Amino acid sequence: MTWYVRLWKFITLAHGSGGKETEELVKNLIVHSVPPELWKVEGGTGLDILDDAALIPAGENRYIAVTVDTYTVKPIFFPGGDLGRLAASGTINDLLMVGARPLAVLDGVVVEEGFPIEDFKKVMESFIRTLAEERVALVGGDFKVMPKGQLDGIVIASMGIGMVEGKPIVDTEIRPGDKIIVSGYLGDHGAAILAAQQSIGVDLGVESDVKPLTGLMLPLLERYRGSIHGAGDPTRGGLAMLLNNWAEKTKTVIVVDESRTPVRPQVREYAEMLGVDPFSLASEGAAVLAVEPSKAEEIVEYMHSLGFKEAAIIGEVYEPKDPRHAGRVLLKSVTGGVRILEPPSGELVPRIC
Amino acid sequence: MTKARRALRLRVAGIVQGVGFRPFIYRLAVSRGLSGYVVNLGGSEVEIYVEGQPSQLASFIEGLYRERPPPARIEELEIEEAEPQGLDGFTIRRSERRKSRRSMIPPDFGICRDCLREIHDPSTRFHGYYWNSCAWCGPRFSMMYTVPYDRENTAMRQYPLCRECRRDYEDPGNLRRFHAQGISCPRCGPRTHVYTMDGRRLDVEDPVEWAAERIEEGYILAIKGVGGFHLAALASRDDVVEELRRRKRRPSKPFALMARDCGVVQAIAEPPPGACEVLESAERPILLLPKRPGSPVSELVAPGLDTIGVMLPYTGFQALLLERVRDGFLIMTSGNETGYPMCTTLECVFTHLRGIADYVVAHDREIVHRVDDSVLRYTDGELVFLRRARGYAPMWLYAPMELPDMVAVGAELQTAGAVAFEDKVVPTQYIGDMDEPGQVEELERELRWFIEVYSLKPRVVAVDMHPGYHNRGLAARLADEYGAELVEVQHHHAHAAAAMLEDRVPPGEKRAAITIDGTGYGTDATVWGGEVLVARYSSFTRAASLYPFRLPGGDAAAKWPVKALIGLMQASGLDEEETLSILRRRGLLSRDRLPHGEAEARVSYRLAASGRAPITTSMGRTLDALAALLGIAWRRDYEGEPAMRLEAAARGGRDHGYTPRLLSLDGRLVVDTPGLLHWVIENLDRLPTRDIAATVQRGLGRALGEAAARAARGLDGPVYIAGGAAVNTPIVQGIREALRGHGLEAQVPRRLPPGDGGIAAGQLLVAAARLEE
Ligand SMILES: [Fe+3]
Ligand SMILES: [Mg+2]
Ligand SMILES: [Zn+2]
Ligand SMILES: [Zn+2]
Repeated sequence: MTWYVRLWKFITLAHGSGGKETEELVKNLIVHSVPPELWKVEGGTGLDILDDAALIPAGENRYIAVTVDTYTVKPIFFPGGDLGRLAASGTINDLLMVGARPLAVLDGVVVEEGFPIEDFKKVMESFIRTLAEERVALVGGDFKVMPKGQLDGIVIASMGIGMVEGKPIVDTEIRPGDKIIVSGYLGDHGAAILAAQQSIGVDLGVESDVKPLTGLMLPLLERYRGSIHGAGDPTRGGLAMLLNNWAEKTKTVIVVDESRTPVRPQVREYAEMLGVDPFSLASEGAAVLAVEPSKAEEIVEYMHSLGFKEAAIIGEVYEPKDPRHAGRVLLKSVTGGVRILEPPSGELVPRIC
Repeated sequence: MTKARRALRLRVAGIVQGVGFRPFIYRLAVSRGLSGYVVNLGGSEVEIYVEGQPSQLASFIEGLYRERPPPARIEELEIEEAEPQGLDGFTIRRSERRKSRRSMIPPDFGICRDCLREIHDPSTRFHGYYWNSCAWCGPRFSMMYTVPYDRENTAMRQYPLCRECRRDYEDPGNLRRFHAQGISCPRCGPRTHVYTMDGRRLDVEDPVEWAAERIEEGYILAIKGVGGFHLAALASRDDVVEELRRRKRRPSKPFALMARDCGVVQAIAEPPPGACEVLESAERPILLLPKRPGSPVSELVAPGLDTIGVMLPYTGFQALLLERVRDGFLIMTSGNETGYPMCTTLECVFTHLRGIADYVVAHDREIVHRVDDSVLRYTDGELVFLRRARGYAPMWLYAPMELPDMVAVGAELQTAGAVAFEDKVVPTQYIGDMDEPGQVEELERELRWFIEVYSLKPRVVAVDMHPGYHNRGLAARLADEYGAELVEVQHHHAHAAAAMLEDRVPPGEKRAAITIDGTGYGTDATVWGGEVLVARYSSFTRAASLYPFRLPGGDAAAKWPVKALIGLMQASGLDEEETLSILRRRGLLSRDRLPHGEAEARVSYRLAASGRAPITTSMGRTLDALAALLGIAWRRDYEGEPAMRLEAAARGGRDHGYTPRLLSLDGRLVVDTPGLLHWVIENLDRLPTRDIAATVQRGLGRALGEAAARAARGLDGPVYIAGGAAVNTPIVQGIREALRGHGLEAQVPRRLPPGDGGIAAGQLLVAAARLEE
């Protein structure tokens, strides 16, 4: 167990933020309790890599991809989507990010006593509609009710199954030289959710980007599967968390150019007002790719042709000059100068003296 | 005749090694007709035995202080009467018994008068030689690869002594060069070259003359000094200063000046009595001094402040350069790209200073340790450290107890590390901000160097409690590597302990301490910074604090003081509309003061009101909020800027005597800053800004002093004031005023920075005391 975890006494909200604390907790208190030989199925991937989905070998050049996630959001209905669409999209996208075609989903729904039936109906309809639009089957599930006060509203757990035909996309294959590409505006979901919250609400004019990325990823995989070394969706913790994960897993340094990274001005402004890093805001309908440098321009152009007009190369992966710098993400800021883009922390504790 | 003969045994501790101290004692004793010996005891101690006529003995002791080599420091002097042995003559004895293998590592000294005289004297071989140095002066720590301080252990090993230098080195009669490790001359010493920013070497006959001409023309030069590069530029021309600010992307952080001599200092500043001695001392620090009104120094050098930072030349090159520029003073600010540490190599200059400097002047001696210029200021008339580096580091402090081998990694910003062993605490030089690329590595490099040269086996690694500090990983790695215990120390407890260490408070004893700064992680996971503690090294209680309020946006509120103000207003019971109307009336919703105006103000208010912002009792943020409300500061370009501007704004203001009340909250006293805020709002249109600025700062001081007086009941000793805000004169005056009423005194650290640069030393004492228990 690392020093970081040794000093904890209780689970706090920070542990569930999807940032640094979550990662440490999962690694130290869960992964390390599992015997390493059970981290994955022989020939596949699992807790060893902690990618968007796990891979189970299913014959020559074929893998079954599985993923599970638990979804909760306040408010449940937000500009651009709702909890149901969020759960379906998130599950589908996690499968796509390992190079799989999403096939089927199982859900587990827990609802608080007293939750309006009308809202429940809307959430589930949205969940199912989103799956159906992508031709993904809902093949099973579970439903429970918790006494009032023991849960706040509704939580959906969603498990997805997909099939990888050909080379899976495993993030550990990201290597120095790779170009980092994003598919579109970042942080829309995170900003829209915060702006929709009563206590700190503003009229932002930005909707959540929540959507399945099937229309982007399946054609890309069709054409460029071999050139895509890494893929991920910058959900909780945003781009900052995702790139830090990549850099750490691959012992590289990733440098991002802020001026080339698409973020809506309103989103950036709102993030500044809140004092949060726009790059740590969640997207629920964006993909981040690490690709073969020689193919990067071509891939971006192809993404444009698929309707992802804001797709752009935003950075590059480097061999660390000093081994102690491995795992670091640097941001070339718009105003000039470079700063370390840190993995977001769930605790907003000021450091400035 | 033997009847009159008496003998003394003296033990001298301080900087007495590597500064020509023993040859000096030899001369002194011989000149007084005394016999005896001097011997190195190791561990920075020297033993002297002298016998002779009583009047000569007295004259010897007087001379010990008055005639000592300039950099020598006598920190402890024990004198005991001894039985005369009837020795003949005086000898420098070889060190036989060594109490400790570990010696104090000598810091870097500014060039001495004699070396400077030689540079100007056409009859010596040092004429025009910039890097002239002797036993009394020149770089030490910055060029040391390892200990002991011998030439082959320094960057001077690349420069074998020429015949004449060797002769001087071996001549016991040569007081300044006998066994002086750093000596050199134009024949054998470092060379100086001039480069363009693309790395091309220019053929320049006289680099100093050339540099002076370029600077006079308005160019910005990177010049290699002792512990790093400077950026040199004219300080009298607004357009040059503005250009430097633009290139460095540094809108308002003050630039340090270097002045030819104290006469020039008098012309641009108003040095109080004694300031020139400090400026001229071997340490040659930057001293913050009141600006002289109407001086030729550009307003843009230190915008919004009533002080300028000035130092005197400390290398021959600098001295000659300053003699050749007409102004007699220059900007000599540290040569770094904003957000990066100061450069020590040409490689760094060509990468990081491209686009900032126009040319480079560099000698070819390696800088082994980056050592920034030290910075001191006057607080309520006393000198305090803002930054402890060149000239002072890595001198050690004596702890009031035996310590295990230990390491401390310090705080986050403006920080230094420290190591400990025996009864010594060795703070590293100022390292800087841990959130800048490369700084944690630099801290690690320095700490490992001290661990190695002092052969330490650390049993404890001390670290701040803050979960987000960048040096936590380093602390963890060191602890794992040495199998040492990782001990977390509360930030303000460390501040208090550092102040107590300096005063050698014995372990187990309790003292009251007022610890005031920007940010420190509290034991309740909120952000502290305006605290009264009752502390011993091993533990503390929080007796009082400022009134807690929420900081919308966390650190963003430190960058934009209006946000902190909104948090304080919310905590003071003003509703959203009242808050906005005051901000609007004060012009604080314009985009230069709050980037997203009214929308941001509303979001900030709601973050505070809904409890979605960190809670703080920070003095720094309270001062920021007041500075914003008074229209004195609304953006923080450098650490403490709003508070420094608020302090400057109070100069000449009348103290109206308002003192916030002490309330009771969660079992502690809290200073009623909401009451203070209401007082300010009521008087905004009635009183001059400087009166309000003076009153609020002194008033906060008085309230904390009153709280400390209550906490100090039954305790010995002075009340310590520590933390970055402990350098604020009106606050310290307010504290002293309140304490005086109770017959108590207050003490601000003087040997360590009161701010986070002193944290590591405090962490060590706390960790050691806890280990004891
Ligand atoms: Fe502090
Ligand atoms: Mg992935
Ligand atoms: Zn000298
Ligand atoms: Zn020589």
